[in-house]
Amino acid sequence: MDPAAPKPKENMGEPLPRVDARLKVTGQAAYPADLPTANLAYGALATSSIAKGRVTKLHLDDARSVPGLLDIVTYGDMDKVEKPKFGNAGATSIGPLHDRTIFHDGQIIALAVAETFEAAEEAAQLIRADYEEEKPSASFDSPGTKTIPAAGKSPLFKEDVKAGDFDAAYAAAAVRIDARYSTPTQHHNPIELFSTTAFWQGDQLIVHEPSQNVTGWKAELARELKIDPPNVRIVSPFIGGAFGSKGPMTPRTAIVAVAAKRLGRPVRCVTSRMQAFGTQTYRAETRHRIRIGAGKDGRITAFAHEGWEVTSRPDPYVVGGTSATGRMYDYGSVLTHVSLVQADRNTPGYMRSPPETPYVYALENAMDEMAVALGMDPVEFRRINEPKAEPIGKKPFSSRSLIQCYEQAANAFGWAKRDPKVGAMRDGDWLIGMGCATAIYPTAVAPCAARVRLTSDGDVRVQCGSHEIGTGVRTVAAQMASERLGVPIDKVTVEMGDSSLPPAPVSGGSISTASVCSAVLKACDAIRAKLSAGATAEGGPLAGSHNEELDLDGGKIAARGGASAKIEDVFKAMQIGAIEEYAEFAPKGATPEAVKKLYAGQSEFHGGDQDEDSVKYAFGAEFVEVRINSYTREIRVPRIVGAFAAGRIMNTRTARSQLMGGMIWGIGQALHEATEVDRRYARYVNRDLQDYLVPVNADTRDLQVILVPEVDHAVNPAGVKGLGELGNVGTAAAVASAVYHATGKRIRDLPIRIDQLIA
Amino acid sequence: MSRISAPSTTGLSRRSFMTATVSAAAAAPLLSSPTRAEKPAATRSGLRETVAVSLRINKQPYELSLDARTSLLDALRDHVGLTGTKKGCDHGQCGACTVLVDGKRVLSCLSFAVMNDGKEVTTVEGLASSDGKLHPMQQAFIDHDAFQCGYCTPGQIMSAIGCVNEGHANSEDDIREYMSGNICRCAAYPNIVAAVVQARDQARGT
Repeated sequence: MDPAAPKPKENMGEPLPRVDARLKVTGQAAYPADLPTANLAYGALATSSIAKGRVTKLHLDDARSVPGLLDIVTYGDMDKVEKPKFGNAGATSIGPLHDRTIFHDGQIIALAVAETFEAAEEAAQLIRADYEEEKPSASFDSPGTKTIPAAGKSPLFKEDVKAGDFDAAYAAAAVRIDARYSTPTQHHNPIELFSTTAFWQGDQLIVHEPSQNVTGWKAELARELKIDPPNVRIVSPFIGGAFGSKGPMTPRTAIVAVAAKRLGRPVRCVTSRMQAFGTQTYRAETRHRIRIGAGKDGRITAFAHEGWEVTSRPDPYVVGGTSATGRMYDYGSVLTHVSLVQADRNTPGYMRSPPETPYVYALENAMDEMAVALGMDPVEFRRINEPKAEPIGKKPFSSRSLIQCYEQAANAFGWAKRDPKVGAMRDGDWLIGMGCATAIYPTAVAPCAARVRLTSDGDVRVQCGSHEIGTGVRTVAAQMASERLGVPIDKVTVEMGDSSLPPAPVSGGSISTASVCSAVLKACDAIRAKLSAGATAEGGPLAGSHNEELDLDGGKIAARGGASAKIEDVFKAMQIGAIEEYAEFAPKGATPEAVKKLYAGQSEFHGGDQDEDSVKYAFGAEFVEVRINSYTREIRVPRIVGAFAAGRIMNTRTARSQLMGGMIWGIGQALHEATEVDRRYARYVNRDLQDYLVPVNADTRDLQVILVPEVDHAVNPAGVKGLGELGNVGTAAAVASAVYHATGKRIRDLPIRIDQLIA
Repeated sequence: MSRISAPSTTGLSRRSFMTATVSAAAAAPLLSSPTRAEKPAATRSGLRETVAVSLRINKQPYELSLDARTSLLDALRDHVGLTGTKKGCDHGQCGACTVLVDGKRVLSCLSFAVMNDGKEVTTVEGLASSDGKLHPMQQAFIDHDAFQCGYCTPGQIMSAIGCVNEGHANSEDDIREYMSGNICRCAAYPNIVAAVVQARDQARGT
């Protein structure tokens, strides 16, 4: 069997190849900066060389003398444009050209526009600024930072969850741990560079830019430019990796739009890899203190999780992963608190499993420490603390297959052969360690619209303003339509990535498959109803049959009794050539304004810990083997097994690939990725792919993904739990546990590197 | 046979270049507007002096007039209209821009276009046969789901073909090592290895 195409088990769809695969292997998939644009001018950014202060003077003469220079957009040129807003679709409230205040290193100070890319780059590099410089506060422990409680600062993090009397339970516990953990600054670094191409056709502004939220950006860009949203179109047919980085729009988009307006000509600005570190968002560094108290039987009685997160001065970006860690196990009592530390930095933003990656890492590393303190097998320790309901609101889980995941992964991994003694396993010069951890990700869904058309010759067109960022959403939307309308998948065309299509929510929070498929399902079912009515109507080919009992398959419509008719004959009888249905899906419990908000570019999330009836999460278990060279302390991960349950799996091929990619991301979190901050200047130092380490091919060897069957009708009509962000949760803790097992060293600060094992 | 001709020796206007492009690569999008095409590139007002560059790209001849600083990557994307080759870092650190030059894999962002004068360049657009049949490496990437977002894929495929041709695909460990210059941020690595193995075996007839 081909590992890339796992055989579907119960409640799983076929591993069909991606519908856009051919475009992607032939170079014909058009990413936004590939879209042909006539009469193009090129833009290049100039950015600040200080992190805090004011620009007192710009020197533009050298730049203006560059042959081919067309324009420089800088202070004063954005005065008629509204400042960006931090929130739903906007990455930051910092309007870099709205005033001369510098909030962070690498802030945009000008955009040079020229006839060629080379001339634009030359000019941008010749732009110099005089500054009134102040001493910046870089990060945790820097003088001048301000620490504030995070709860209530963001609509996504309302409260510090708690339950019972933690202090009393912790004081009374027979076994206790109290440990501190940290995770570093990280940048998404999708391989596609961030780009904006803007051009005006009369009052209409068209923007080609990789986006995870075309409808949200349309609204935000229209607000900033003070034009009607219908006059803005965001086009992003393919996205070259996103991971959250293309979720919120950054201030560059409006600046390039203004440049195109001034010039009366299309302008394309491709941000350099280095500039992206300061002009886009990132995962901020975090710190954690975890206390766990348990009885000698391994039952947890007390759990406390305190978190600290860095953010920018003006914007309270918070991830607050305690909502998930506080509900993970049957703790007895829970105490949590999250703080924000405001520093002179650009505003952070969503990066793959934003809350869970750092917070679950800390929890799961602590769980392993506790298992060691109890002298208990870490899998058994988790089994003992498996909850019947989540401990905060005592709500049931809509489904929770964590133990099945542990059992299947442990079995495939060969966990039973592990000698639990530290340092006991060895192969020549290599110390072997084995560890495991839990993965969790909230299952959310949001309102979504879709248009589906079926023609009499069986062609299907699906239109939905969602985004193909590599998840396979285009493929699963095609599969849903193919399945419901009974046509082969090669008869289905899917259009996505354009704000002129029916609106879809932001492609973040692992909601896309559930939201898009629920809307496509609804549209397809409306088509089925019309076809069935036509077939059974007087004069129809199935007149006399009950229209509820009809089924569509293989281009035919069939009654339960056996009579069937070709779809084209139904169309003929109805005297029509096509049926087109526009569906708006709103999740159970959606507010009356939810669909209206969808059109305004605001995604209303439901599910996770927000619903009344139950909490909704997807779970997984990951096991890793590390090998550490006994002389050099080089760390390798030759083997990793993950088992995941996520409700209905639409396509086992794309699902496995996403989980696999997530697990390798997790290896990167554990061993490679960190943006180094120069604390003197609040500046990112390793701003390229040579010094910002990400996993490469040689960092992965034997990787196995197990899809655990699970049925959950409560999550959404499609029965789908998102899994794009599940795979990289927990991995880093599993690696840390394995490193401890091999060496006896408990590493609490990520990434784990050779120097920590030598000291 | 490196040769840098003065702009005047080619006598090619931008329009005749665009015409050549259209006939050579009908499917490629055109990036320049008619208004720009009518101006001879070498004398386009206000630009630094340009140089003439002859390239054979996907077996078709191209005569280009370029800023001497233009990378092979930007020449392919912005001047020839072959956008299948991707820019991921412009620093030779990610591999997304990998093409074959005279059959060897090259990072096109680290090579000025003029340095490739007279050479044969193969891009991802040049792999499938004219009847649409995919190159075995392209088909193997589909079969093994060796990509997700697809952005690094043209570079991975060109690099994989180079890797097999060099004889660096003898074992899975070799493939992992010799394909590590091509970053896949979606991390399809195990699937990429499986794809290279399949295409290698097919090339060997095993």
